[in-house]
Amino acid sequence: MRRLTVLALGTALVSLAGAAFADAEWGDYKGYTLRVKLIGGAQYEKLYAEIPKWEAATGAKVQIVSSKNHFELDKEIKQDIAAGKIDYCVASNHTSFAPQYGDIYIDLNGVIKPEILAEFDSLALKNATVDGKLVQLPRHSDISNLFYKKSLYADQANKDAFKAKYGYDLAPPETFDQFKDQAIFFAKAPDFYGTQFVGKDEAITGRFYEMLVANGGALFDENWNPTFNSPAGVKSLQWFKDLYDAKAVPAGSLNYLWDDTGMGFASGTVALDLDWAGWAAFFNDPKNSKVAGDIGLVRAPKGDGGKRSGWSGSHSFSITKTCDNQAAAASLITFLTDHDNQMIEARTGLLPTRTKVWTDAEAEFTSQGNEFMANVFQTYSKSMAEDAFTPPLIAPWIEVSNVIWPDLQKGILGEMTPQEALDDAAAKAKTIMEDAGYLKN
Amino acid sequence: MAILRRQNATPFLLLMPAFVTMALVVVLPLIFSLYTSFTGYRLIKPESLYDWVGFRNYTRILSDPDFWIAFGRTVLFLTVVLNLEFVFGLGIALLINKITWGQRTLRTIMMFPMMFSPILVGFQFKFLFNDNIGVVNNALQSLGLSDGAIPWLVDGKLAFFSIALAEVWMSTSVFAILLLAGLFAMPRDPLEAAKVDGCNAWQTFRHITLPFLMPFGYIAMAIRSLDVARAYDIVKVMTDGGPAGRTELLWTLIGRTGYDNSRMGMANAMAYFSVILSILFTWYFYRKLVAARRYMGGVQ
Amino acid sequence: MSSRVESQGSKTLKRVALTVLTFLLMAIMCIPGLWVILAAFRPNGEILAKPPVWIPENPTLTNFEKIFGFGADQVGIPVGAYFTNSLIIAVTSTVIALAVGMAGGYAFARFRFRGKGAIFLGLMLFRAVPGIALSLPVFIIWSRLGIIDTKFGLILVYVSLNVPFTIWLIDGFFRQVPLSLSEAAQVDGCTAWQAFWKIEFPLARSGIAAAGVFAFLTSWNEFALASQLTRSTSSKTLPVGLLDFTAQFTIDWAGMCAMAVIIIIPALILTFLVQKHLIAGLTFGGVKG
Repeated sequence: MRRLTVLALGTALVSLAGAAFADAEWGDYKGYTLRVKLIGGAQYEKLYAEIPKWEAATGAKVQIVSSKNHFELDKEIKQDIAAGKIDYCVASNHTSFAPQYGDIYIDLNGVIKPEILAEFDSLALKNATVDGKLVQLPRHSDISNLFYKKSLYADQANKDAFKAKYGYDLAPPETFDQFKDQAIFFAKAPDFYGTQFVGKDEAITGRFYEMLVANGGALFDENWNPTFNSPAGVKSLQWFKDLYDAKAVPAGSLNYLWDDTGMGFASGTVALDLDWAGWAAFFNDPKNSKVAGDIGLVRAPKGDGGKRSGWSGSHSFSITKTCDNQAAAASLITFLTDHDNQMIEARTGLLPTRTKVWTDAEAEFTSQGNEFMANVFQTYSKSMAEDAFTPPLIAPWIEVSNVIWPDLQKGILGEMTPQEALDDAAAKAKTIMEDAGYLKN
Repeated sequence: MAILRRQNATPFLLLMPAFVTMALVVVLPLIFSLYTSFTGYRLIKPESLYDWVGFRNYTRILSDPDFWIAFGRTVLFLTVVLNLEFVFGLGIALLINKITWGQRTLRTIMMFPMMFSPILVGFQFKFLFNDNIGVVNNALQSLGLSDGAIPWLVDGKLAFFSIALAEVWMSTSVFAILLLAGLFAMPRDPLEAAKVDGCNAWQTFRHITLPFLMPFGYIAMAIRSLDVARAYDIVKVMTDGGPAGRTELLWTLIGRTGYDNSRMGMANAMAYFSVILSILFTWYFYRKLVAARRYMGGVQ
Repeated sequence: MSSRVESQGSKTLKRVALTVLTFLLMAIMCIPGLWVILAAFRPNGEILAKPPVWIPENPTLTNFEKIFGFGADQVGIPVGAYFTNSLIIAVTSTVIALAVGMAGGYAFARFRFRGKGAIFLGLMLFRAVPGIALSLPVFIIWSRLGIIDTKFGLILVYVSLNVPFTIWLIDGFFRQVPLSLSEAAQVDGCTAWQAFWKIEFPLARSGIAAAGVFAFLTSWNEFALASQLTRSTSSKTLPVGLLDFTAQFTIDWAGMCAMAVIIIIPALILTFLVQKHLIAGLTFGGVKG
């Protein structure tokens, strides 16, 4: 009899403790309203449908103060800084934009438990660190790898013709030089193109930058002198120019942004496309894309320096300095990036930032028979772990990019030689770095 | 000739609401902008608001050739676009005026482009003019009129043309509707008299209809010349001033300087040049408006 | 006899030909817009096809379903909220702008007073400031006043955006109405106020309607300021919602077109309804001298 009571009591205690533990997992913030600014758009908002679970577990309410597109959100936050009115706790952030915001966000290193941080990719965390402070918790990442039309490479006639012309076997390119050869080979303007590239804004600067690094060059030296007009830089710019001159890319490429290149590959008129993982599901969906079922994927090519290109960035969450309940904020962002929620995002093709989610997602795709997505995850997980790098995490980066890309365009169009164009951009970049106080002159 | 009422407080009372709203929404911000143009204000460093630099922003602008090229291009763009919109709008208004059957439907159709938000128009034409998968090139190829992919948004002249086309498409309806309303408001007597006197259609048009319509035309041009700054949305989406600055207009330059580069002080200085430009255009149309009214013998 | 019948016939033929031609011209003019509307009912794959698919092969309503949240696992866009906001903001700002415009336009048309020319010009010059220079200070001031993300804040901005135009335009139309008509009414016993509403207002109707349509469409479609001054569903308008379809890398073109259709339809309906006021029922032949 007594044993039963002890047992009953014991069970009750354990379950109580269990319940308390469950609440303790996310904390108890009953009655508190957490104000957040999140990035909007169908791709990103799926995650927010999980927020009610957090609200139920903690008793707090989440008030989404603003939900905007990537660029609009950036403008908005800059305005908030200007107006001195940062009255929210959590904001969506991105590794490329984070350095511009000064010190409005706190260092998460003291606030999020180290055990949790240890479950994230170390490279992702490194790229989320600005001036030694972890100002953002990465949510999902992106990096580019090479998609291609499988049927083109399987075709025997192509193989023979290519071997005859270039002297090596036709296979998805390992280097940028091979990439160029094959793009020119496949092109039949105006009906079909070898590849395409984005032609303006930070987009082209980024592509140029990653190729520069792959070719062994660097944007700046350790004193912040611009060094992108080195031979590696000229070779990189020359790559774009050669493709453009050979009409291996659409003539309108210089006006293209990500949606143009994505749609271009999906329309089936392009052979090779160095593109982001976020497009993978779109490319393989027959309702949206003509190349569905005919897509191959290899890792990004290497340059002369033996490195692969790996320009990448992560969307993230940050906590503001003016937040009056940092614990609640930390709890929310940890929840939004926990294993299950990252799995939800991974299923739609967004690359996770937690190490375990990579393997779990890939396993899930394989078990569902979705070989394509499993392959995508396998390939991209290696890229993220080994090749990923961000632009310099400094405040004037966007400004520097804005003087580089018009000159890149001039070089490609032939208004200047590549060397002249890069020299001109380097001179302008030098002025910016001096004004910003990075370069001591 | 009727005598106008003499001055008393009434007109000022009637204008009071206008003054108040304009003061709040325009004058105060204008003063703030003017002040910041003399500083090195950067959005992301609010303290820089007090960093007085005098005329440095202005001198940098005056000596920057890229700015002046953009300025010139903007003037050209405005001139071309306004004239085209007026001519097309007039043509459409005259046509519709003549039709009796289904006119209400026609008028609604005529205003169709006005229902598109400028940002949508930008995306729409960016897409239509895409050289690879855009509708325009595909149509031209299907009809056999062209064998290549025409780079509508890359070639210097073609890009200018494409942007102008988008803007004209969006705003011709404004002129059309104003001129049509003007045509409706026209008194019939002079027209009848002209017919009786034996004038042909062209003479009637040139000497009676057109002068009557010109005031409305100038009002439309005045407002559109200011409104064309809304073309910022179109240009930003379609080309963002590129490639290589070939389609850079004042507004894309200002937007990029102010928000992307966060150099708000400099951007506001540029904006003041843009303001001067707008003032010139408006003043020009105002003079024409007054002259046109005087010509008609109307009230001053 | 037969020649008169013939000339009558040829006149009708001319008229029919002209009507057909005009409709055709209008249709051509509308093609870019029609393309967008058509795209709303097609999947992305078909829109981007090369060679192009002119006749829709798979018309579908999925784009709309996604917007309203009926799609498989999609979170819908709060279109209802955007729509209500847009409607309230656009209608209110138009009504106010028209009222201010009529008052101001009447003042300029009927009165002589000091500085009239300068004030008239000055009103328009305020519009000369490009949005870029205006938007940040407006944002800072609005944020101090606490009216960011409110419908009121946006209405205030739109009123001042539209007032110069409504005043200039309505002034133009009031000038066309002869003062003699109003004075004749007053001789007959009306007050100036009654004469205004009975005589001058109806005769200037087409101008006021045109100004109203223009003001409404400006507010309905305005993007830049709305994007600045709104944050959440309490005030976000439809054009700002358009950008929900653009993510960092992708544009859901079909979705955006569907949203565009949602934006266009109310504007179209309203315009069609206001049409009858666009005709001025002028009887200038009535009063001579």
